[in-house]
Amino acid sequence: MNPSMKRAIPTAVVALIAILIPLFLNDKTVYVQTVLSAVVVVGLSLFMGYAGQASLGQGAFVAVGALTVAVSTVSFNVPPLIALIAAPVTSAGLAYVLGLPLLRLRGHYLAFGTLAVLLLVGALMGGVPILGGGAGIVGIPSLGIGSLVVTGQLFFAYLALAVLAVTMVVSRNVISSRFGRGVRAVAGSESAAASSGVPVLRTKLAVFALAGGCAGLVGGITAFFIPYVSAESFPPSMSFTYVIMAVIGGLGTLWGGVVGAVVVSVLVQALNTISNIPGTPPIVGLILQYAAYAIILILFLLYMPRGLWPTVGDAVKRRLAKRVKRSQTDYSDQHA
Amino acid sequence: MNALLIYVVSGITIGATYALIGSGFVVVHRVTHVVNFTQGTLAVFGGLISYSLLSFSIPHGLAEVLAVLLTGLIGLVFAFVTIGKRGTPPLTALLITLGLSILSEGIFVTIWGQAPIAPEGLGGATVLLGASIENQRLLTAGISAIAFILLGIFFGRTYLGKGMTAAASNPRAAALVGIDSRRMGFIAFAIAGMLGGLAGVVTAPFSPISFSSDLPLALGGFAAAVFGGLSSPWLTVVGGLVLGISGQLVAGYFGGSYQTVAALVMLLVVMIARHKSLSAEEAK
Repeated sequence: MNPSMKRAIPTAVVALIAILIPLFLNDKTVYVQTVLSAVVVVGLSLFMGYAGQASLGQGAFVAVGALTVAVSTVSFNVPPLIALIAAPVTSAGLAYVLGLPLLRLRGHYLAFGTLAVLLLVGALMGGVPILGGGAGIVGIPSLGIGSLVVTGQLFFAYLALAVLAVTMVVSRNVISSRFGRGVRAVAGSESAAASSGVPVLRTKLAVFALAGGCAGLVGGITAFFIPYVSAESFPPSMSFTYVIMAVIGGLGTLWGGVVGAVVVSVLVQALNTISNIPGTPPIVGLILQYAAYAIILILFLLYMPRGLWPTVGDAVKRRLAKRVKRSQTDYSDQHA
Repeated sequence: MNALLIYVVSGITIGATYALIGSGFVVVHRVTHVVNFTQGTLAVFGGLISYSLLSFSIPHGLAEVLAVLLTGLIGLVFAFVTIGKRGTPPLTALLITLGLSILSEGIFVTIWGQAPIAPEGLGGATVLLGASIENQRLLTAGISAIAFILLGIFFGRTYLGKGMTAAASNPRAAALVGIDSRRMGFIAFAIAGMLGGLAGVVTAPFSPISFSSDLPLALGGFAAAVFGGLSSPWLTVVGGLVLGISGQLVAGYFGGSYQTVAALVMLLVVMIARHKSLSAEEAK
């Protein structure tokens, strides 16, 4: 077996498990939402980890994707499939246009700038009638082509999974390309990258647009899945959760985004289950969620700042390297 | 004319709140280069704690002062979590303070519930140039002015304040003359806590405060602080006032829903317009 095939085995096993899980779930809502948030987080991780920038407002692009689907299908009778394709395009386009002025900001300023964009999108959705106004948009049609309409949660589970797979393949190829080396150089040092001929702003813009496109596609799928879009559908806390997932999983690693999304979602679900046990006052659940969330985020930032995936991965690698070394020394001892 | 005056005066009081919260951002950022996301959270703590103290029938004045001191203490606790561990990069510290503010929301809901709360303030109103203005708003403007003067004296005249400025401008040189810049960071967080707490204490009586008030307050304060590049307290005051007054004018003449939009757009425009000077220090 050649090494590249060997490396593909764990990926195949994970994929198989991911395909099997929804078959055993009665309610697949959490599964779909987890996989979809993994897509957003992979994009965000690309932007935060590789391009070295923070976005606290990634939910804005999810919202725009959802709005694209909701407004175009409900108000303009656009066929659902075209609306779904338009969602990531609109979000990526908006990310590009907003990025032109916004990405001149760095660090804290960019973090607050993206947060401001998110709140602006929320304010517009709450105030402009065609974008839902106060009531939100209902009556989004089912996804399908012509009379061929798909419904059912299983379809959405596999659609989300397929989107995640495509996102990861695209992201991996982007990172390992010539452009991707430029992206990593920007994360290391902007001035060094610029002096080696990397167009810094254009590179950051491209990654921002890619991450925005991921978020937009997720928003579009969510709009079909939930069939309701309102200003309250995308609260800032959701965007913070994406950041938390990205950080816990490990910024700047593809699998880190997925691991972070799964770990946080499972955690939230576990806390929900605990708080739903009969006899627990409803307020306890709320506290468990807020507090557990926050404490885990803080502990991770302080004691595992690189995130789960890189830290655990390195530990495993070190362990393996040690074992190989030991077997080599055993061998040389015997033949001494 | 009458309406205009009311908008301007209420704008000044809201602007004073933003300026207080914003100067909290400035004090912490100058010394530690950390943007403290809990700045709005501290204001919520201030308002809610003063409400509870008043309901324990602690007299006015004492209750408010105690609330401000307690928020200073909370700021100190936040400092230990955020910058207690050496070598945490500023952007990681921002995310830690984000975590602290989420944690605090849980605390707010547990202790005070979800409904907005207004502690009892100064009742009545004063007629000023033909416009009737609530006394609590006048008190807010007055107390904020006193706070800024005290802050100016602290940084300009006292040994500790000068030490903090020294630690901010050149940590290495400050360390050489015996200033512990980490300790200065802790003190900065405590002062920021008191500034945030004060903002909450004085404004909660006329604008009720709840667990979810932290984000708008933090954004308003940050916007004010951006006017001063996160390092000038005086420009922060100017920024807060511009933001407060223009927000009230927009709300008064175009409707309240545009107030948020106007503030957010202003934040973005100021940041982008000043991006060269703002990002010089953030560039690697």
